[in-house]
Amino acid sequence: MDIAVVVKLVPDLVEELAIDESGAALDTSYLRLIVNELDNHAVEQAILLKESAGGQVTVIAPDLEGVDDILFTAAAKGADRLIKLTGAMSGVNNYALSNSLAAIIREIKPHLVLTGVQANNDLDGSVGPRLAALLGMAYVGYVSGVTPANDSVKVRKEYSGGLVAQVAVRLPAVLGIQAAGKPPRYVPISKIRQMSKTARIKDQPAGDLDAGNGAAVKHMFKPEMGTHATMIEGEADEVADRLIAIFKEQDIL
Amino acid sequence: MVPHRPDFWGIPAEWNPTLWVYSIMFLAVFVLVFRFFQQARLWWKVGRPEVRWDHPGKRLGLVFKYWIAQLRVLGQRYPGIMHVAIAWAFFVFFIGTTLAAIDGHLFQLFQLLGNQNAITDPEAFKFLKGGVYLVFKLVLDLFTVAFLVGAGMAVYRRFVRRPSRLTLDSRFAFSLVLVIVVVIGGLVTESLRLAVVRNDASLAVGWWAPAGFLLAQLWIATGASPEALTNWHMVIWFIHLGSVVLMLVTLPAGTLIHILTSAFNTFFAKLDRPAGKLAPLAQNKDGQSIFVSALRDMTWKQLLDGDACTECGRCQDVCPAHAAGTPLSPKQLILSMRDTFHENAPLLAQSANGGNGKLVGEAITGDMLWSCTTCGACVRECPVLIEHVDMIVDMRRHLVNEGQMGGMLQEALAKLGRYGNSFGQSERARAKWAQPASLKIKDARKEPVEYLWFVGDYASYSAGLVDITRKTAEVFQRGGLDFGILYETERNAGNDVRRVGEEGLFEALVEKNVEAFAKSRFKTIVTTDPHSYNTLKHEYPSTDASRGRYPILHYAELLDQLIAEGKLKFNRQLGYKVTYHDPCYLGRYNGVYDAPRRVIQATGCELVEMPRHGDRSFCCGAGGGRIWMEEDLVKERPSESRIREAVALDGVTAFVVACPKDMTLYRDAVKTTGYENRLVVKDLVELVHEAM
Ligand code: SF4
Ligand code: SF4
Repeated sequence: MDIAVVVKLVPDLVEELAIDESGAALDTSYLRLIVNELDNHAVEQAILLKESAGGQVTVIAPDLEGVDDILFTAAAKGADRLIKLTGAMSGVNNYALSNSLAAIIREIKPHLVLTGVQANNDLDGSVGPRLAALLGMAYVGYVSGVTPANDSVKVRKEYSGGLVAQVAVRLPAVLGIQAAGKPPRYVPISKIRQMSKTARIKDQPAGDLDAGNGAAVKHMFKPEMGTHATMIEGEADEVADRLIAIFKEQDIL
Repeated sequence: MVPHRPDFWGIPAEWNPTLWVYSIMFLAVFVLVFRFFQQARLWWKVGRPEVRWDHPGKRLGLVFKYWIAQLRVLGQRYPGIMHVAIAWAFFVFFIGTTLAAIDGHLFQLFQLLGNQNAITDPEAFKFLKGGVYLVFKLVLDLFTVAFLVGAGMAVYRRFVRRPSRLTLDSRFAFSLVLVIVVVIGGLVTESLRLAVVRNDASLAVGWWAPAGFLLAQLWIATGASPEALTNWHMVIWFIHLGSVVLMLVTLPAGTLIHILTSAFNTFFAKLDRPAGKLAPLAQNKDGQSIFVSALRDMTWKQLLDGDACTECGRCQDVCPAHAAGTPLSPKQLILSMRDTFHENAPLLAQSANGGNGKLVGEAITGDMLWSCTTCGACVRECPVLIEHVDMIVDMRRHLVNEGQMGGMLQEALAKLGRYGNSFGQSERARAKWAQPASLKIKDARKEPVEYLWFVGDYASYSAGLVDITRKTAEVFQRGGLDFGILYETERNAGNDVRRVGEEGLFEALVEKNVEAFAKSRFKTIVTTDPHSYNTLKHEYPSTDASRGRYPILHYAELLDQLIAEGKLKFNRQLGYKVTYHDPCYLGRYNGVYDAPRRVIQATGCELVEMPRHGDRSFCCGAGGGRIWMEEDLVKERPSESRIREAVALDGVTAFVVACPKDMTLYRDAVKTTGYENRLVVKDLVELVHEAM
């Protein structure tokens, strides 16, 4: 089963986020980009499928800082082909990204396209459904586990309220992964370093990045902090007195 | 007439005992050597090559210290005296028998060489006569008594006390009974002879053979005739001879093989690096890394370790992982390897792909390997210098390479890879503790300083330790120290990353730190973290050719220096009664025991030692990356056992530590054991700060 995995890079929330001078975007000077965790699960799911059913895994990611490491890590896990989408990738929206991705995926002709079901910097919906539409494939999102069957796959999908469904999906299809069948594996640094010497990343120009007429960020800001609650400490009587005083001040009593 | 040593007394000369006794003994020794060689060749047939032949002089020194003098064995009183009494008695018997053989046959050698004197006066070639002979008898007899004491202790221990660390099976019982039969056989033979010859001035030795003499009185008291005693002598003599032969031929297959293997194991012990330095991943001929998961991946010396293990259980007794109830026992680990080796080695040795010999995941499970804190107590205790920790780390490297590890560890490693710290925080938060403007801590990247303070992850990021880290800075400042830190450029030093088995990540961290060192100007590195201290001291390359290796100090050493130089002055004597916990990586691995104790005393505290202190200190349980792992297999935390040990000391109110991780663990352990009101955990620097 040949699989294409789409991986996005997203801002690492461990770093404090700052807004740049335009007031409509993140300040990139201190920004650290990391692999979108759900995309990481998508890669893992692809490798698990490859291990049980064979086939080729191609991982595609936009050319942003740190992308090489992410691709080499995927290769160390067992990905066969690595593609880097080159062009003005910083701040590109999912509409434009999906268009470029669809063109590449059409050439690869995979049986299955996997991607994280969402990313923390999605603005205009997630990549998966749009890709499915462009490629004319079925789409199932919020998938947590995929098992291969002949010309289809069985996917596990969790609903709120504790319900689980098993869905048969005919191939080719696009799946939005929420969790891989097993947690993503650890790859030792030495293997990644080795891959960086032996594996090849193919640069693929993204072409025309058409952002469409969709949404654009006008203004970005940190929410005002609500006023803090005040803790009243002391003996029960004191606390009660204090409460009554406050209620009176507020004209509640 | 002076007494002399008789040859084959009581054995009819016409039987020609010299000929057949020597023939039998020669055959027995041949069988011994042959069987031993058959076993030994498997070490290098199956194991990888490793150079352990260098510095033969030093190595012989080790053999003397640990095989002959048996200093490690003597480290524990009861088993020490017990074993040494038996072992040294056998050394002496061996030397005595050899001397006797020389005494009996030296003249024949000279006769063969055509020496005229040897033909006319063979007696002149004997030296075991007169006073020398009497002393010879006395020494042998006294060691016989020593042996009986040791053997008695062994019998009592093995069959009555039965401590859990021993392997209580018939192989050992057989060996013990056999050596007792051998020695008692010899003693009875001697005493029967002495009973018969008691009035023959040329053979009687009286009290010079005290044990034999006393026993002889017993035979005399039975009133048996000299002929009867002589006959009994012959019977027992045959039993003695037979038991010796049995001992020799069974030695290579039984538990007594340790006599030989331990000599080899001490000779081939690790000399090329200190205990705190791990070897890098080994590589095969094609330059590929060797990850140890099966017998073939082990070096011949590691396989020898297995055969050298005496199953004494000392390592298991001191192991915090074993005490905590995890599946790890260092003794069992070595024995599992050995058993797999014995089972598969013959096949493995025959052909390149014959046999199985898989270790990790079979006899040695991941759970065992992950339970180790790399505290080094087992290595410190092992009487035959077996190297457990190296083997464990080797196998962990295999597990890491296969991605087989628990979720918590995986997460910690991922964080260390991404952010350079196990807390998963931004590197820009690393020096947050230094933010109060009043602290004014120099940036070693921007201005030259004398001391580079390598703060370490816990002291930098752990919210509960900020206070202590700041106090450390204040103490340094009051001591007039010119110091700075690396701010966000510092990375985890990698000591525990390496011990977890993530060699690639360790190398990456070293690269980053070394790059930062190269860009700053300082003379000495100081750190409060014994783990960082260990790896910086032993495992980091000396990067700057012009500067050589930077001296590395632990803050206990630095504080000790500052106090000695009069730079740190105290206004108060604290007067607390305290105990001190030696961190494994400061004490056992680096021998720093006195400096922290002197600092404690200088603050006016009274130090009371816990039973397990100094190089016998008991690990807190956090080392070797254990602090990043699940605790589901731990039944009693080592840190809690340690707190109970401290609480049992009369009047001790403070538990002093010299490691940020210890602070975290023991604070917790004091709470979970419910001793919050009895004991406070204090960092060494808190005492100093308070006394200033
Ligand atoms: S190093 Fe410590 S924890 Fe590990 S096996 Fe040895 S004694 Fe046990
Ligand atoms: S490894 Fe050493 S300490 Fe442990 S049982 Fe064997 S000989 Fe004794």
